[in-house]
Amino acid sequence: MKKNKPFTIFIILFIALVAIFIFSLCVGSVNISAKDILNALFGKLIKISSSNNEPSAISASTIIIRSIRLPRVFAGLLAGIGLASAGVVLQGIMNNSLAGPNTIGVNSGAGFFVMLAMLFLPGKLWATPVFAFIGSLITTLAIFLLAYLGDRSRTTIILAGITVSSFLSAGINLIKLLDTDISINITTFLVGSLAGINANNLYIPAIGIVIAFIILLFLAKALNMLALGDEIAMSLGLNINVTRFSLLILSSILAGCVVSFAGLLSFVGLIVPHICRKLVGNDAKLLLPCSALLGGCFVMLSDALGRVIFAPYELPVGIIMAFIGGPFFMYLLLKKKGGRRLNA
Amino acid sequence: MLKYENVSVSCGHTPLLSNINLTVNDNTITTVIGPNGCGKTTLLRALSGSCTVTSGKIYIDDTDYLSLKPKKRAQLLSYLPQIRGTIPTLSVKTLTEHGRFPYLGFTRKANAEDYRIIENSMNLAGVSDYATQSVDTLSGGIRQRAYISMQLAQDSSYVIADEPTTYLDIPSQKDVISIYRTQKELGKTVILVLHDIAQALSVSDQIIVMKDRKIIAADTPAELLKQHIIEDVFGIQIKEFKDEENTYYLCV
Repeated sequence: MKKNKPFTIFIILFIALVAIFIFSLCVGSVNISAKDILNALFGKLIKISSSNNEPSAISASTIIIRSIRLPRVFAGLLAGIGLASAGVVLQGIMNNSLAGPNTIGVNSGAGFFVMLAMLFLPGKLWATPVFAFIGSLITTLAIFLLAYLGDRSRTTIILAGITVSSFLSAGINLIKLLDTDISINITTFLVGSLAGINANNLYIPAIGIVIAFIILLFLAKALNMLALGDEIAMSLGLNINVTRFSLLILSSILAGCVVSFAGLLSFVGLIVPHICRKLVGNDAKLLLPCSALLGGCFVMLSDALGRVIFAPYELPVGIIMAFIGGPFFMYLLLKKKGGRRLNA
Repeated sequence: MLKYENVSVSCGHTPLLSNINLTVNDNTITTVIGPNGCGKTTLLRALSGSCTVTSGKIYIDDTDYLSLKPKKRAQLLSYLPQIRGTIPTLSVKTLTEHGRFPYLGFTRKANAEDYRIIENSMNLAGVSDYATQSVDTLSGGIRQRAYISMQLAQDSSYVIADEPTTYLDIPSQKDVISIYRTQKELGKTVILVLHDIAQALSVSDQIIVMKDRKIIAADTPAELLKQHIIEDVFGIQIKEFKDEENTYYLCV
């Protein structure tokens, strides 16, 4: 075992993240050069230092970068971080590799509540993330309750997730029928899209995601213990109920915040943790940051491709991700199981 | 000294054991035997917290054990359940490191002393050669020792395991038993659930015989044999063979 292997992977992922970040800023219906991007990003500093001798210093590309692209790219980054780490947590607390914000219905729960927020509190910026959080929390709790009332097996959890998920999807569709004037584009919301995001939609979710993720890093050890099974975790002195519940709240914040601005993005929460398990092993201390980096890369890149492929038309990021992610995940599943990696 | 006083235990919402009284002396090996479903595992789960003690008290040297915080409990007593379900993809060393969890906190990270204990535990459990191998790729016997290595890293005075030898071949069973014998020599108090009566007779200072969720007897092997209690409970006969050093038992 080479000790520095995860380190190398982190370096590569980080470089990829920065590259994709810049690439995403460049491409779109208008292509902007890297130089203009630097100007747009740091132009403010230059402007201040060179006093106010040139009022028209802010060019069109600066406006595009600052008010459209930058929020959108950040949204992709945040969505990737939030969903991928929520996936790691859900897989951990349910001890189930099939769990993910999408498969167990957390996303639908958040989505349903976002729809409610749109319906009853239109135009309130704080309402969407808060409702999304409440929705994902209620859904996760409901699934836990169902599974605990049943036989607590892995199958029951997934079945409970599917049941709750389809129940909530029905709710989403009902609202769609009742109120056709709802202020979001339902189709893009359901597949997940980053189009039309502005900075104002992002502040609250961004704070939520960043804080939840940082707390999560402190709970990585506890997450590792849960993987040993409840009985062993308990006899090692872990309070499993408190731990599960805290992790549950954090994953609900992460998934809920993402749904509030990006809609029901699927796939990231399920496949990114799986890919990262193959890259750095099952140690949550490595798995969480790795999933966050890869998740960020994946969503930003998919969104950038969605803007490029049929330019000037856009494909929602959710569609691109399913098209890339699906076959790639199949490939991973079918690939020989040998060459397991350790987290020693 | 570990002491159960009128202990009743429920798993889930099902009451399984009632009014259990039991004393285990320090620095001994106690084994629990009994037919399947007699409540052996439940008896020990009362200690780990996976089953609930509904009435009565469990004392360790006059301390009310169940009133302690989970980490404090884990420092005092380690319980290795039967290993079922999925085996995590962890190296043996990482698994052993988990044994130090009760001693770590937000402010305290593993230090040189912890790593010394981890190395020592892997040595005692005979898994040092497998330190970097993944637990899920190991054979049953070595895997069991890897889990025992984690348990030993907990460095607790009471070392408890549920059927640590079940499903293992004879050499692996001998390895496991000898690890726990060494623990006794190191001053620990060992409690094991065993299915092999002959093994229990040869290794124990005290045997607890259970049947139908009750403790039938708790005594030394010699006394139990004299009174034919084990033979009655299991409906078997026990033959003894002696050579210069040891006594061997055969159950037929």
